[in-house]
Amino acid sequence: MIRAAVLLGLLLSSSAFAAEPWKIGIIAPTTGPVSTVGTRQLSAVLWWAQDVNAKGGIHGRNIDIIHCNDEASPEKSVACTRDLIDRGVVLLLNASITGPILAAIPLLQNGPVMVTPSPNVMPQAASYVFQTSPSDLEMTKTIAAYVKASGAKEIAMIAATDASGEVGAANAAAVFPKEGIAYKLARIDLRSSDASIQLANVAESDAPLIYSNYSGGGAATVVKSYANFGLQQPFLVSYANISDSFINLIKDDMPKRLLSVGLKAVAADLVDDPAERAHLEYFAKSYQAWKHEPIDHLSILGLTMADFAAAVLENVADPSKSADVRGYVETHPIPSAGMLRFSAATHIGLSAESIAVLEYKRDHWAKAGPLK
Amino acid sequence: MNPLSQAIISGLISGTIYALIATGLIIAFQTTRIVNLAHGETYAIAGLVTAALAHAGTPLIVALLAGIVAATIFSMLIEIVLLRPRADWPVSSLILVSLAVAFLSRGALQLAFGTDAASFKRLFVGAPLRIGGGVIPLQGLWLIGIGLSAAFAVTQLLAHTRIGRQLQATAENPDAAQLLGVNVHLTRTFAFALAGLLGGLSALLLVPLVSVDYQAGLGMTLRGFIAASLAGMSPVGAILGGLGLGLAEALVTTFLGALAQDPVIFAVLIAVALWQSRHIRFGGSLRA
Repeated sequence: MIRAAVLLGLLLSSSAFAAEPWKIGIIAPTTGPVSTVGTRQLSAVLWWAQDVNAKGGIHGRNIDIIHCNDEASPEKSVACTRDLIDRGVVLLLNASITGPILAAIPLLQNGPVMVTPSPNVMPQAASYVFQTSPSDLEMTKTIAAYVKASGAKEIAMIAATDASGEVGAANAAAVFPKEGIAYKLARIDLRSSDASIQLANVAESDAPLIYSNYSGGGAATVVKSYANFGLQQPFLVSYANISDSFINLIKDDMPKRLLSVGLKAVAADLVDDPAERAHLEYFAKSYQAWKHEPIDHLSILGLTMADFAAAVLENVADPSKSADVRGYVETHPIPSAGMLRFSAATHIGLSAESIAVLEYKRDHWAKAGPLK
Repeated sequence: MNPLSQAIISGLISGTIYALIATGLIIAFQTTRIVNLAHGETYAIAGLVTAALAHAGTPLIVALLAGIVAATIFSMLIEIVLLRPRADWPVSSLILVSLAVAFLSRGALQLAFGTDAASFKRLFVGAPLRIGGGVIPLQGLWLIGIGLSAAFAVTQLLAHTRIGRQLQATAENPDAAQLLGVNVHLTRTFAFALAGLLGGLSALLLVPLVSVDYQAGLGMTLRGFIAASLAGMSPVGAILGGLGLGLAEALVTTFLGALAQDPVIFAVLIAVALWQSRHIRFGGSLRA
């Protein structure tokens, strides 16, 4: 009788251990001025979790996503990070924007590993932070190459007054003059409801391209003011604004040519690798069936974090050991929307090869034609 | 483009909206002595209701009317449901109640309309006008015309009509007004309805040029309150206060940069508050 009870107890405890889920923390602003950025990426990660769980989990353990809404506030980001670490997450995904992400990094001296797709975050190679996009510097270089290839020599640029805008302004200063491109920059407050003054300051010289580095739904302010002015130049929006919700917001004021610099993965005809194409097609189809909405660029950024997490959970014996996770990720490429290649020298996963200047044509993003 | 001309145009557009919001705040303040911190929600409600209906295919004019009606009803409900039954509460407590309403409204709007910003088509479509090196969209021109006319009409209503005098009598001494046959409750409800109407109108004029989201209300209340304070809580001064604030914001942004906007505007507000408190201390009649 006693033996039977002990055996039953052991069985129960071992099955309970087997069923213990992987705790994955995600910080995503689902309210506030950049809620679209957080909501869309969070949805992609939640899709991944239910997809994995429906197939029996990873090594028999389900995924448990613990979300914390930082409202894109650095103070709340720190509180979220502390809370998620206290709750024992093995990985931390961060779908917020530059300032809040940077505020969280000092708390990760001893792990856990944090992954973010924000191109403005440049993690140190010795840290536990990894970034799954090309850097903003690479994107600025891509824009410069596009402008030069079109024979143009000027850019009008608008950047926000937040940390993202600081990075954008610094990279513009580092890249455009070096490439022989004159640029005029105006800054805009994130809460501003009018960008006429900024446009008046930078677009007076009829620059052949207006580049808005402003992220989030508030960037619609710049597009609206552009339309109010009756401007005709091609208008290039930031990486974070390649989303259906943003297109919906500006549809009544759509610039004649709407451009952006983004992952090639968002334009199906630019994806050459058959495995990557199949992965993206599966994501698009399964996500649509689950969420009843199409994927967009932000969803794909969320997917890069999910693919990172999946690779770690599948291949690292104990993902709670941050040094082991870092060691694995630095030595093994991770297939996602492009091949994420980290190393002991860089924690930025994608290079300029995975991005292109895109143009919104007939309800989808495709490779942009030259400036006219 | 001429940055100064553009700053003046942008300042007039935003200043007109601030004047409308400030006028609504002042009307409610004059009849209840309460600064209604939920007043800016009328802007967010009208904008989001109109955008949602227009997006769903409702004819724009119907969507606009629905938006303005929703804002008006919301404002009336604040007075009928929340303030009237608590008329014996201290004013400071009622101001906090209105702040709670603002946060509640923000949450309700988020649940109802989501977190994405929204907008709708312009009422007045046409090529933008170029004036003195600046550019003004047709909608912006009408915004200034309609907005200032509406704010001016309200000041005339208060000064020269029976209902205006009833509003003022209610503000100065509600008990005496009641003895003279003024229906104080109805008068206050009318004041809040008028305030809601102005808040809704400001959204219908501005949102097509910009966008609106669930958290736009408190920002509008803050700007309206600054304009109202600059005006010494006087309806006649609200137009000047709103335009002054709009122009100051635009000129600061143009010549000192966007980063300087908040410090300069709040420094002005502090200076005005200190100047007004000086009047109160030495027996002056102004009270903000």
